[in-house]
Amino acid sequence: MANWIPLWLHKLGSPPIFYRFAGTLRPWALALALLLGAAALYGGLVLAPADYQQGDAYRIIFIHVPSAWMSLFVYGVMAVASFIALVWRIKLAEVVAMESAPIGAAFTFITLVTGSLWGKPMWGTWWTWDARLTSELVLLFLYLGVIGLYHSFEDRRQGARAAAFLAIIGIINVPIVHFSVNWWNTLHQGSTVRILGPSKMSGDMLWPLLTMMAATKFYYIASLFGRVRTDLLAMESGKDWVRQIAEEEAKS
Amino acid sequence: MTAPSAQSPLLLEARALSFYRQDEPVFGPLDFRLHEGEVVLVEGDNGSGKTTLLRVLAGLLHIDEGELLWRGGRWLRDAYLGDTLFLGHHLGLKADLSARENLAIAGGLYGTRDGVNANQVLADVGLPGYEDEPVRRLSAGQKKRAALARLLLLPATLWLLDEPYANLDRTGIELVNRLLEQHATRGGAALVTSHGAVSFLSGEPRRIRMHA
Amino acid sequence: MSQAPLAPACAALLRRDLTLAWRRRGDIAMPVLYALIVVTLFPFALGPEDALLQRIAGGVVLVTVLLAMLLALDAMFRSDIEDGSLEQLVLAPQPLALMLGMKILAHWLTTALPLIVIAPLLAGMLHLPAAVMPVMLLALLLATPLLSLLGAILVALTAGTRRSGMLLALMLLPLCVPVVIFAAGAVAAAQQGLPWLAPIAWLGAALALALVLAPLACAAALRIALDA
Repeated sequence: MANWIPLWLHKLGSPPIFYRFAGTLRPWALALALLLGAAALYGGLVLAPADYQQGDAYRIIFIHVPSAWMSLFVYGVMAVASFIALVWRIKLAEVVAMESAPIGAAFTFITLVTGSLWGKPMWGTWWTWDARLTSELVLLFLYLGVIGLYHSFEDRRQGARAAAFLAIIGIINVPIVHFSVNWWNTLHQGSTVRILGPSKMSGDMLWPLLTMMAATKFYYIASLFGRVRTDLLAMESGKDWVRQIAEEEAKS
Repeated sequence: MTAPSAQSPLLLEARALSFYRQDEPVFGPLDFRLHEGEVVLVEGDNGSGKTTLLRVLAGLLHIDEGELLWRGGRWLRDAYLGDTLFLGHHLGLKADLSARENLAIAGGLYGTRDGVNANQVLADVGLPGYEDEPVRRLSAGQKKRAALARLLLLPATLWLLDEPYANLDRTGIELVNRLLEQHATRGGAALVTSHGAVSFLSGEPRRIRMHA
Repeated sequence: MSQAPLAPACAALLRRDLTLAWRRRGDIAMPVLYALIVVTLFPFALGPEDALLQRIAGGVVLVTVLLAMLLALDAMFRSDIEDGSLEQLVLAPQPLALMLGMKILAHWLTTALPLIVIAPLLAGMLHLPAAVMPVMLLALLLATPLLSLLGAILVALTAGTRRSGMLLALMLLPLCVPVVIFAAGAVAAAQQGLPWLAPIAWLGAALALALVLAPLACAAALRIALDA
């Protein structure tokens, strides 16, 4: 392993440095998220033409699809942070992994709810055991397991390490679940409805989708940084740099 | 009995050893050396980290800061494990098994000293006639004795004993002291915790004081 | 002084766990009884119609066995943690993964094997065709050790916490979805007269992988969970 990786990680991984870094970046990320989100919604709900098959109902994809992407992306981030946390015992990585979990779970939940809302006009039912929806449901359980395990320990760092281990087992499990659920779906000849057919998406629909994807990424950054900052303050409450910050806040 | 002879080889050395829980220091920084043939008493009030220290030394908890040296070299789990015996608050006895069966498993996992067998060891700790009694039917003191029998059977050089005197009567305390003495003359070493109110060890053992 | 050799250490541990289970035979009967109760309730809930019961029999038996195993999973390390035996095991000069493998084996022998033995009875109560029975048993023989191995990792992770039954179920669900799918898939395929070897082969492959990796993961998880 190259030596600079742990070194670089240790530098940014020092809580006071990251606290300041995240504090500067967070407002920008939040502003970008709101701006891009508003633009994407306008593009998706107003500018984009109605679908010739689905009418206006398809417009929920501008929420549904970016959330679905984020649910997997956040899991990826959580797993990478977990790996770093377990190998190099870096406190920041533990915090990032554990604070990613609720955000990822929220995105997964939104994906499930919007998917089910979309399913009603499309399939005539709120829930169908479609391969992708089912995988998403399993993903939600993975997230909940990580969150539950984290909170069941009295020692937070120990809980974080145990939950990080579970997150890594989970990421090995995700493709296996996806593969098995696909196989199961073909076996039972179930209601595999192809929502987004192989048809090409028109540019009018594509740009709001991509913009929303960027917006959700920035929202994730903003939300994660906010949560991590709070957590760092709580965990390091005995340290000097926290006392300094508290005194500065008290003065202003 | 515990005169730290300068010539006996160094077994365990701690350099600025400390341990944190949730960033609160539990103990340390702590420096000490343990030679072969030495019995050292770890003293301190409740909550001063005696048990934690022993668990760190046993290899159950990782070291946050500082260094631990074993026989002059780096502390390596594999080299260390077979040569160390930890006796904690939980005695590690299966209540549904007899004392003899419990010893058989310990021997299976850790190996046994040459020329010692379970019956002999159980007689030594004052449990003759109770060999085949399920441990759940023994009294607290007898359970402790059954756990102490492990010390005689297993081949470890370093004993880490957490409150070995608890639950024992006068003869039991003498038994622990006798075991420690035998162990020291054989070249073994031991760290023994005690909450300082009473020190039962005969003679004047070296002490490590822990502060809360 | 003699270092303990590996094979007798494994044997000693296995013998200990089996002896303990034997001294508490009542506990072995519990999951079996539980499975029997659950399967008995299905006809009452769905009606005693043969065709319907026949169709769901494979799946019901599999899920019931899974739940019954889950019931016993929590106990895998519980008593060892409470009386300190686990510390002695972790500190023993033996490869921890292999020792945990022995514990998992003992656990499988005492909880899953009795369930597999009564599985034909359970399936018979739901009118599963006799021709499908061997496939179901084969699926169970592959799926239950897989569940024991996966479950052991999770139980090890929760070793540092207090009661964890529900959490364990939550954590196990995503891991056991593929197992249930392939095991039940094989039974369903056999019942429809379709080739059933593929899902069984997948289960076998997964089991081979888990046999090697799960004890290692279990040891790592245990070290994390006990380090406090």
